[in-house]
Amino acid sequence: MKLSDLLTDDLMVLQLKGNNREEVMDELLDRLDETGALSDRDQFRRDLYAREEHGSTGIGFGIAIPHGKSAGVDQPRVAFGRKPSGVDWNSIDGEPARLVFMIAVPEEQAGDEHLRILQLLSRKLIDETFRQALLEADNRDKIKTLIESM
Amino acid sequence: MKLLAVTSCPNGIAHTYMAAEKLAQTAAEAGIDIKVETQGSIGAENVLTEEEIEAADGIILAVDKSIEMDRFEGKRVLSCAVSDAIRKPEELIQRFESGEVPVHRSREEAGETDDITQTNPTHKEERGQNLIYRSLMNGVSYMIPFVVVGGLLIALSLGLGGEPGAKGLVVPEDSVWSSILKVGEAAFTFMVPILAGYIAVSIADRPGLAPGMIGGFIAADGSFYGSEAGAGFIGGILAGFIAGIITRWIKSLPVPSVLQPIMPILVIPLTASTLVALLFIFVVGAPIASLMEGLTQFLQGMQGTSKVLLALILGAMIAFDMGGPVNKVAFLFGAAMIAEGQTFIMGAIAAAICTPPLGMGLATLLARRKYHQEEQEAGKAALAMGLVGITEGAIPFAAGDPLRVIPAMMVGSMTASTVAMLSGVTDNVPHGGPIVAAVQAVGNVPMFFVAIAAGTVVTALLVNVLKKNAEVQRSESD
Repeated sequence: MKLSDLLTDDLMVLQLKGNNREEVMDELLDRLDETGALSDRDQFRRDLYAREEHGSTGIGFGIAIPHGKSAGVDQPRVAFGRKPSGVDWNSIDGEPARLVFMIAVPEEQAGDEHLRILQLLSRKLIDETFRQALLEADNRDKIKTLIESM
Repeated sequence: MKLLAVTSCPNGIAHTYMAAEKLAQTAAEAGIDIKVETQGSIGAENVLTEEEIEAADGIILAVDKSIEMDRFEGKRVLSCAVSDAIRKPEELIQRFESGEVPVHRSREEAGETDDITQTNPTHKEERGQNLIYRSLMNGVSYMIPFVVVGGLLIALSLGLGGEPGAKGLVVPEDSVWSSILKVGEAAFTFMVPILAGYIAVSIADRPGLAPGMIGGFIAADGSFYGSEAGAGFIGGILAGFIAGIITRWIKSLPVPSVLQPIMPILVIPLTASTLVALLFIFVVGAPIASLMEGLTQFLQGMQGTSKVLLALILGAMIAFDMGGPVNKVAFLFGAAMIAEGQTFIMGAIAAAICTPPLGMGLATLLARRKYHQEEQEAGKAALAMGLVGITEGAIPFAAGDPLRVIPAMMVGSMTASTVAMLSGVTDNVPHGGPIVAAVQAVGNVPMFFVAIAAGTVVTALLVNVLKKNAEVQRSESD
């Protein structure tokens, strides 16, 4: 398993339409739902917001990673969206989120391979050149290459 | 400078690892040696070793849920939110360099860690349950060798050198088996003190050992509080927890630095042991003596009423505390009735006596997954002890998981005693288990064995239904 197995083509949104956190969340939730990764969209949505309540997933550096380990998730998946102008995510550093990774993890899943991949993604996002490259990639293929490079 | 860190967040999917990465990067840039343990949904990885903690100049705990703190006792510990480690790792490291990070002294005092547990009460509750389970298992694992050595030596000497008599199976004084029996009994003497001592160690670390063992010894010896029988292993568990909690409390009291060096070897053990002993002798012990008296009177009043009811009560009492006061009352009642010619009462008790160890032994063979390695070994020894009627063979199982194991054993012993009672099994020697049939003290031998088999199977099946897998229990305690 690789990150490109979790973050497939149809889960990439190069230009998010939403103008606030709720709209962006719904946009990415729709994508996940369309791939059949969710068994209960509302449940997963509630779990995502519960996590945001606990502390914003806007970790700064223009990145937000709404995520949840949820009974509403059937298959582990990552949806990725870009918003060059940024949306307010109540981030710790006050910066708007320009890269959003929505991470869906099932409550029960055999093995921990998917968790290891997500761990790798989390660590990689700390790397500034990686973030910059994701923002600057002007087409889908470049993003795919970046993600496959992990 | 050498730093260590632990990162952890509620979901354990993203922040844990981001914080770890950021800390590692920042430290590397500053030329500082750091190792980061991640406690994420994969489990703990890159775990800090005792040596590393010993050698470290400080520890950063970037955690949004409560974690085990005891291993950082006496180190400089900086607790912060996981987001702080992502946002301002430089500042965290800087605080170590300027030497403003306080030394961690047990959880009660560390204000910052308290904040974490307070914001997350559910975790605190889980910790409490885990602490009880962990402490019990710690006591049990140190106790098992004593039970096995004592049980097997007693079994061997009774099996090969025992002769039936009015006082039970007696090993003649002049035989070599008499010495072996004494060695076995010596090993058994340590059983409850070791259990209590290491429960206390689990709660209060090394200073808990002496108060725990002394408390356990007093608990097991009824002569301290004017009782015919001691409080058994249940009393030992109680003594262990009391000793652990008292010791930990004394440890947390502020003392002038002059006294500091003599605290762990003199002040703490002396004060804690005395308190535990007095508490047991004057508060816990007295009710045990009157409990035994009351139960004895109750059983005497039961004479002549329903035999089945009597069998059920005796079976339950025998398995309840295995050598403790309740068990003793039932056993002594049966022994007294032999003299009055009512040997059927001892017949029922003899069947009930051996089903806890036999049942637990069978249970470990039937479902290995539900028992730790050492419990599986203890299971084999329990089978041998069951054959010669040493109920104590089941104590390691009961002490480790009392709420599931004791009820199962009680139902099994009730089954055995009722079957034996209804089929008129008699026993004219105050002892139990298949060995009394071997020394020809039992009337209606076939039904005696049917009763034992029934009780054994019921115990084994019931306990395995109630018990979860050992792995599951372990991950819960993590």
